[in-house]
Amino acid sequence: MSMTIWFGVMLVLSIAWAVWFLKRPLADNGVDLEQSNIDIGKQRKLELQADLTQGLIDQEQFEQALEDISSTLALELKQADSKTLIKSNTNIWIVVVVVLLPIFTISVYQNLSNYTPTSKSIPIDLPPLTLDQSVVKIEQHLKENPQDVKAWKMLGLSYFDLNKIEESLKAYEKAYQIDSSDPRLLVEYASALISANDDQFTLKPIELIKKALEIEPNAPDALYLAGMFAASVQDFKLAKTLWNKALSVLPEQSVDRQALVSILAELSRVESGDISNTVTVNVVISDEILASRPADDYLMIYAKAAQGRPMPIAIQKLPIGAFNGQVVLSDMNSIMSDKLLSQHGKAIVVVRISATGGAMKQADDLQVSSEIITIAENPSVTLNLK
Amino acid sequence: MLVELGHFALVLALAFTFLQVVLPTIGLIKGDFSLAQLSRPMLWAQFFWVLIAFAVLMYAFVVDDFSVKYVANNSNTDLPDMFKMSAVWGAHEGSLLLWALVLSSWSLAVSIFSKRLPRDVLTHILIILGVISIGFLLFLLLTSNPFERLDIIPLQGRELNPLLQDFGLIIHPPMLYMGYVGMAIPFAFVLSSLIRGQLDSTWLRWSRPWTLVAWSFLTFGITLGSWWAYYELGWGGWWFWDPVENASFMPWLVATALVHSLNVSEKRGAFKHWTVLLAIAGFSLSLLGTFLVRSGILTSVHSFAADPARGAFILAFLIVVIGGSLALYAWRASLMRSQNSFSWLSRESGLLVNNILLVAAMLSVFLGTMYPLLLDSLGLGKISVGAPYFDAVFVPIMIPAVLAMVIAPFLRWKKDTISRITTVLKPVWLGVGLLFLASFLIVDNTFVSLAVFLFIWIVLHSITLLVTRIRQNGSTSLAFIGMILAHIGIAIFLLGATVTTQLGIEKDIKMEVDQQITIKGYEFVFKGVESFSQQNYQGHKGKIEIYLEGDLIAKLNPEKRQYVTGMPMTEAAIDPSLYRDLYVALGESLGDGAWSLRIYYKPLIRWIWLGGLFISLGALFAAFDRRYRLRVKS
Repeated sequence: MSMTIWFGVMLVLSIAWAVWFLKRPLADNGVDLEQSNIDIGKQRKLELQADLTQGLIDQEQFEQALEDISSTLALELKQADSKTLIKSNTNIWIVVVVVLLPIFTISVYQNLSNYTPTSKSIPIDLPPLTLDQSVVKIEQHLKENPQDVKAWKMLGLSYFDLNKIEESLKAYEKAYQIDSSDPRLLVEYASALISANDDQFTLKPIELIKKALEIEPNAPDALYLAGMFAASVQDFKLAKTLWNKALSVLPEQSVDRQALVSILAELSRVESGDISNTVTVNVVISDEILASRPADDYLMIYAKAAQGRPMPIAIQKLPIGAFNGQVVLSDMNSIMSDKLLSQHGKAIVVVRISATGGAMKQADDLQVSSEIITIAENPSVTLNLK
Repeated sequence: MLVELGHFALVLALAFTFLQVVLPTIGLIKGDFSLAQLSRPMLWAQFFWVLIAFAVLMYAFVVDDFSVKYVANNSNTDLPDMFKMSAVWGAHEGSLLLWALVLSSWSLAVSIFSKRLPRDVLTHILIILGVISIGFLLFLLLTSNPFERLDIIPLQGRELNPLLQDFGLIIHPPMLYMGYVGMAIPFAFVLSSLIRGQLDSTWLRWSRPWTLVAWSFLTFGITLGSWWAYYELGWGGWWFWDPVENASFMPWLVATALVHSLNVSEKRGAFKHWTVLLAIAGFSLSLLGTFLVRSGILTSVHSFAADPARGAFILAFLIVVIGGSLALYAWRASLMRSQNSFSWLSRESGLLVNNILLVAAMLSVFLGTMYPLLLDSLGLGKISVGAPYFDAVFVPIMIPAVLAMVIAPFLRWKKDTISRITTVLKPVWLGVGLLFLASFLIVDNTFVSLAVFLFIWIVLHSITLLVTRIRQNGSTSLAFIGMILAHIGIAIFLLGATVTTQLGIEKDIKMEVDQQITIKGYEFVFKGVESFSQQNYQGHKGKIEIYLEGDLIAKLNPEKRQYVTGMPMTEAAIDPSLYRDLYVALGESLGDGAWSLRIYYKPLIRWIWLGGLFISLGALFAAFDRRYRLRVKS
């Protein structure tokens, strides 16, 4: 059944329920307020009598309390304003409910729901689509709905994840032409442009970031990119201000905070002349492996302490399709902001291909480790995955 | 699609809540029974749709539907199913939906079990509860929609805070919410009486059992929270005067006063002003507590400002509820004039003193909690108000309250004399004195001596009262047993809290493999650490053996976990007993097999939560007293 039919069923049930009780009112329980107060007053007197019998009060106190109960009851009866309710014809109310309930419910729902057909395209009870399949679906959808800006945006991101930067930029440009007021779109488009230009800032992404910040001055992703630009032109003071602002608006539980804290720590180290160490990792993956693994399998490259806990101290994780043969691990990739890569002595570099990208090695993961390296020497390591 | 149905169900619930309020109100004004009676069926429909919405959100968590923003932000595929379900109330939006469901459930219970309440009184009460529900459903739908979809569906969700991945989270918030939201019931009873202009015996009689049940849940919820913090946070504490804890403690103090005030109002028609104000304050503080915790104002004042829509709604709702009810109180003040006088020495005055002390204690906690937040939000600087303030202000207020607590039940209503009460209690005081002197043989700590004195004081008075009542009457009521249980619960809590704070031992040490340390006769031997991994974390497990007089009595395995998101967690290991807990938390690796360890010896710490359970149970006993179950006999 389609969603509209379900909504219809829910509405019909609701209207039927309301109409039923308008036509057939529930019976009164016959409890009268005045009688209820009188009964409670009588019970109090009985309790008082019991207190007297048990010696909890003497005769004089009994009589005083009895007088209190009587005067309280008299006051309650005086205050009582019991209005007799009568049953009346409810036809007009039935009409009101039948008309207003669906109007109210549907209009409120339509105003509040951000549901769109594009988000419907991935049903939760089916295995998730691969990126390639998603792209096909989105393109099909766009043929019928060429003005769906969200779909263009999603297409841009999907192409970007597939490392098809050219197509990604086209999709983002299309989305931008339809709606240039969405700060999220502006930031994503800027990111794609920067990536397409070997991580260099050109005029267009700078304008996009500026525009995003004009629309939403506290957008953390735009602040982050603006900080990156400031750092790229050596304006570390401005970069720090922008990143600190981004940090202040990110929610406490946001995982992006961790990355930002690491960057700020790294920046502080750069400013204090305490340059961090890096580990350059070259990975050679055999054609056989590349052919056998989907492009969206993860390549996880991380350093772990040579002795002690096996958890990564710095990690980069990216789809195999996006890997260009080399990564550089630095303090910015550290897992713990208070224990950066440079603060470790000896380490081992691990390269793993994983379908899930999970922390624990799975049965079908491929993994290779290096010899022990000294991080202070800024080593370069080459690992072969055959 | 299911998520959209959940969202639609929530909108339908809102529609039915409007019907629950509007049609019966028109019915009461026009004297139309057919419309007035609708409050109940409309409420039942509201409950049904809120339940459906809640079930849909839970299902979205269970099937990892990351197209839902709230699910993607608070769960992932590696999370065990049990925690996926409890993650529903692990953050703001879901916990508000739980709030709405609990309020709906309480309202449903009132509509079903209030058989002795005149129907028009019940209709007024359900209308008030409906107005509160409208506030919460609007807040949910307009500012905190848990069913919001993401444009781009992530392949994996984020991590539920590892601190919340614990059995404690599954039960603590629902229990606490049952208490918080339960305070809406006496509030609705009071407001309905004020609106009707009839502050009568019926209101007092039938609001008391609901108040007692809510108070019981609140006590149980706070107790669970304290227990959870103790074993989960890894610092061995059970109460930290943290603003989040205080947010639940303030309504508890007021609810405690309300339960006692209702007793006097119900039996003697006095204290109506107090009772009305306490019912309003209890629910207002519950609302304040919920919003303080859930708005993010406590973790950061700026997060409150960062979402102006949410902040504005919260403030507006608080102003409407608190301001509206106080205005109603002022309007109807003349109705609460009591002609029932009592002497300075009477059960009424004893209970009044206790009420005043409880409210003063609540105000001291309120000041310590709100003042730093106020300063921060006004940009006047940051100050920290911690345990030293609360110990210095709260504890001295509570000592006389505890002393008076067990004297009041011996006092006669209306008027008593010092000579009579002295005669009755002289043997008790003699017993207290003797036992207290005997305690000096084993106790040499001033604070512990004071706690022992208060413990003996409460227990001896309570037992004497019980024995006297049974002798006089042959039997006693559930309400009376409930009171005795609750008072003894206070004694147990007091002794546990003081002894564990004063006599507890904490050691932060570096231990190498096979190294040992002796604390209070217990020999802790460190046997090293091993690595392990679970579904969504990996970590290290310490191995500690504990010997007493050469016999192995326990093996503990404290853990240090690293979750997939990189968040570290300490999982303490505890050897519990009624007399003492041995508590070990694993610190950091210090190289060459050595680790830092935190070892605690916690005498009588279980008594803290045992006391809480006694109080909670006592309240339930009192709530199910015969007089609330039987039809009033003419």
